[in-house]
Amino acid sequence: METPAILAFGFYFLVIVVGCFMAVGSASLVRALVGLVATLLGVAGMYLLLNAPFMAFMQILIYVGAICVLIFFALMLARADADGDEADPAPAPRVFKGVLAAMLPGALLAPILLLHPTASHLLPPDVPLADLGRRLMEDYVLPFELISVVLLISMAGAVLLVWERRDK
Amino acid sequence: MNATISFDSVLHVVLALVGVAVFVGLNGLLLVYAERKVAGFIQRRPGPYEVGPQGILQAVADALKLIGKQLVRPDRADPLLFWMAPVLAFFPVLLLFLPLPFSPLLTGWDVNLGLLLILAFAGFNVLALLLAGWGSNNKYGLLGAARAVAQSVAYEIPLLLAVLAIAFQEGTLSLSSIVATQGSMPWQWNIAVQPLAFLIFLISALGETNRAPFDLPEAESELTAGFHTEYSGMGFGMFFLAEYANMIVACSVCTVLFLGGWKGPFLDGAWWFLAKVYALLLAMMWFRWTFPRVRFDQLLNLNWRWLLPLGVLNLLATAFVMKL
Repeated sequence: METPAILAFGFYFLVIVVGCFMAVGSASLVRALVGLVATLLGVAGMYLLLNAPFMAFMQILIYVGAICVLIFFALMLARADADGDEADPAPAPRVFKGVLAAMLPGALLAPILLLHPTASHLLPPDVPLADLGRRLMEDYVLPFELISVVLLISMAGAVLLVWERRDK
Repeated sequence: MNATISFDSVLHVVLALVGVAVFVGLNGLLLVYAERKVAGFIQRRPGPYEVGPQGILQAVADALKLIGKQLVRPDRADPLLFWMAPVLAFFPVLLLFLPLPFSPLLTGWDVNLGLLLILAFAGFNVLALLLAGWGSNNKYGLLGAARAVAQSVAYEIPLLLAVLAIAFQEGTLSLSSIVATQGSMPWQWNIAVQPLAFLIFLISALGETNRAPFDLPEAESELTAGFHTEYSGMGFGMFFLAEYANMIVACSVCTVLFLGGWKGPFLDGAWWFLAKVYALLLAMMWFRWTFPRVRFDQLLNLNWRWLLPLGVLNLLATAFVMKL
């Protein structure tokens, strides 16, 4: 049990890291998107490893199947050539700031995890789908609904931006 | 799903995948031949006739030709994306066959989220079309890819709504339990309770698998071959196999959700499942040679004005009845 899990972890980790570097480092935007897809798939693999197949499949269904396809659509409309202005290598200060920004979430989360380590299970617990739904709709109904409000606001914002453009 | 990754279960899945690959390959040959014969008969001509008796070896000859042909990449096409696309189109499709219950005993991997697994990995097909269209540095390819996005994003929604209606009704996402709750007689199948969902599912499945009359991404009369214009040999062959494999999956899911899966009036078993799947496949071929290709605005209007509202209403009605 132990060794395959570690091997799988290493594989997903590799997929995520390589995907990340491809996503931020490629000159071609479509290749960067492929890197993003790889990262999302690696994260889905991590969910599988945590014994949360529902999360893993949802991750693939929503992020890979829908969001990445929509990003691709936007790229296609924008004519994303590999030799555009943005494709030049970034100046060193900007790279430094980028790395700093990327490390910020880790720096914020690591102390919390180190101070309050969660109980580690040898085998991750199996959560039935019905339980997940019940918890979402009963205990966590407020955060769940707030997320939908955030999505609604962002959609309304997107529509608003487009309308303003059209007036000009 | 079980958390333990034992050697046996891995071996089981690997064997199932090999079996699925053989099944897909043989069915590719069979369906190409069937499609050309059906097309021939509908258009009052014999179809393939020369290679073997009744042209039965035509598909084998075509397959050998495809395997033998040189793989050509257009100048200035992105090599990574160009070669990744056919692989990405074909291999995820094999996974889709794993949770399908061919018979009570014959299931590759009886996972309790089978329906979700199929829906999730089916999304890779669109991604592959996009990469192919973009990566081949060809205007027809790009136009085909642009159409593929709009179409598949649109048709995925009514498809999910129709599937969700059945999932609501059955309270499970496991394909084998969905079959188990249906009776043996045709009026005990889900199609009798959910005829509207069946219709929506069938139309959206045609849209999702890019089959005529919704084959706009490859529209040969306008776009040469759309997203796969630049592919030769097995590059094209893999897209082709993936398309047929996707058709089989769509028909199988339809059979499981609405037509009682492997159950029949007598002698339950895999033959009922296969008979229903092939009947649906035949209907899909029949549609292709009967209806003309729709225009793009017709395609999207049908989806957003009819299928989507009807799907939502059907889902609400299902939820209402379930609550009573």
